[in-house]
Amino acid sequence: MDKQLDTGDLDLTVLRELTALRSFAPSRGFSGRVMAQVRLPQPAAVVLFRRAGAWVMQPRRAVTLATAYAASFVIALRLAVPWLETHAATLKLGAAWVGTQLGALFNTVAMSAADWAVQSGVAHAVREAASSGIVVPALATLTIGYAVGGYGFYALLKTPGRSDALARS
Amino acid sequence: MPTAKDLRTLGDREVVALAKAGKEAAYRELLSRYERPVFSLIYRMVRDRALAEDLAQETFIKVLNALDSYRPEFKFSSWIFKIANNAAIDQLRKRELDTLSLDGAPGARTAEEVEATALQAVDRTESPLAELEARELGGEIEQAIGKLRPEYRTAILLRHVEGRAYEEIAEVMDLPLGTVKTYIHRARLELREYLAHLRT
Repeated sequence: MDKQLDTGDLDLTVLRELTALRSFAPSRGFSGRVMAQVRLPQPAAVVLFRRAGAWVMQPRRAVTLATAYAASFVIALRLAVPWLETHAATLKLGAAWVGTQLGALFNTVAMSAADWAVQSGVAHAVREAASSGIVVPALATLTIGYAVGGYGFYALLKTPGRSDALARS
Repeated sequence: MPTAKDLRTLGDREVVALAKAGKEAAYRELLSRYERPVFSLIYRMVRDRALAEDLAQETFIKVLNALDSYRPEFKFSSWIFKIANNAAIDQLRKRELDTLSLDGAPGARTAEEVEATALQAVDRTESPLAELEARELGGEIEQAIGKLRPEYRTAILLRHVEGRAYEEIAEVMDLPLGTVKTYIHRARLELREYLAHLRT
C-alpha cells in the first residue's frame, strides 16, 4: 500500500517536473542567421522577369537569340526598303500634309498666347519690371534662396550615421 | 499591412498566409513563435547545444523556404515539429553509426544496466561547453529523459513539455495514435524507474 502510494507520488512528481521543464533559447543572432538564408517570395512579375533573364543569359540561347534578332532585322529591312521606294511619293505627300497641319496648329497656339499676354497686362508688367532693374536682383535672390533651401533640406535629412534618410526609406 | 503586434494576435495559418504573400514580418513572427520550442525539442533530443542550434537553423530554413508546399489543412506546428524531429532522429542515427551506441545494450532495462553496457565511444573530456550543458541539463529529470529511447523521448517531450495533443504527436511522429499512447505510457514508466531512487 505504502509502495503504491509512493509510486503514485512519484508519477505525479515526474509529470509535474516534466511540465515544469524550462525551454531553451538558441544563441543570440539565431533568427538573423536563419533569415539571411530564407528566400522571401517576390512579385510574380519580378520572378518572371528574372527567370526570363536567366533563361536568355544562357550562352547558347543568347547566341541563338542574337542571331535570330539580327536575321529578323535584315529580313525586315529587305522587305521595308523596296516598299518605301515604291511608295516614296505618297509618303512625301503625307509628310508634307502633316507638317503643314502641325505648323498651323503651332501658329494658332502662339498667336493665342501672345493675344492673352497683351490683353491681360502680363506683357506690360514684364516690360515695366525689366525697365525698373528689379528682375536681376529678384532672380539672384531666388537662385540663392533655392540653393540655401536645398542645402538645408539635405542637412535636415542627413542622419548622424552619415547615411541619407531618403536613401534608407 | 499588419504590424508585429497585430501578427502576434493571429493564428499560425493567417501568419503563414501573410508570409506566403511575401511579408517579412510574418516570417519573423513564425520564427519567434517556434524558435524556443523547436530548439528545446532538438536540444533535448541530441543533447549538444551547438549541434542543436545547427539542426534548428536547418529546420527553420527548410520550413520557411518551403512555405509554398505547406498544406493549411495540417497544423503548422505539427509540420515544423515533424521536420525538427526528423532532423534530430537522423542525427542520432548518424551518431549511433559513428560511435556505436551510447544508450547501452538494446536489452538493457534498468538504469544500472544501461550505464553498465553503455559504450564510452565519444570524447569524455569535459569541455567548457560540456560543463555548461551538464549544468543546463543537470536536473534528474533531464538526465532521465536523456536515457529514454529517441521515440519515447520525442513523444514524452511533445506531450508533457510542449503540451501537444496525442493526435498532433501522432502526426509529427507519423505513427498510429495507439502507438503514441503506448510510447508515452512506457516512457513514463521508464522515467519512474530511472527516478526511483528519489522515492521517499
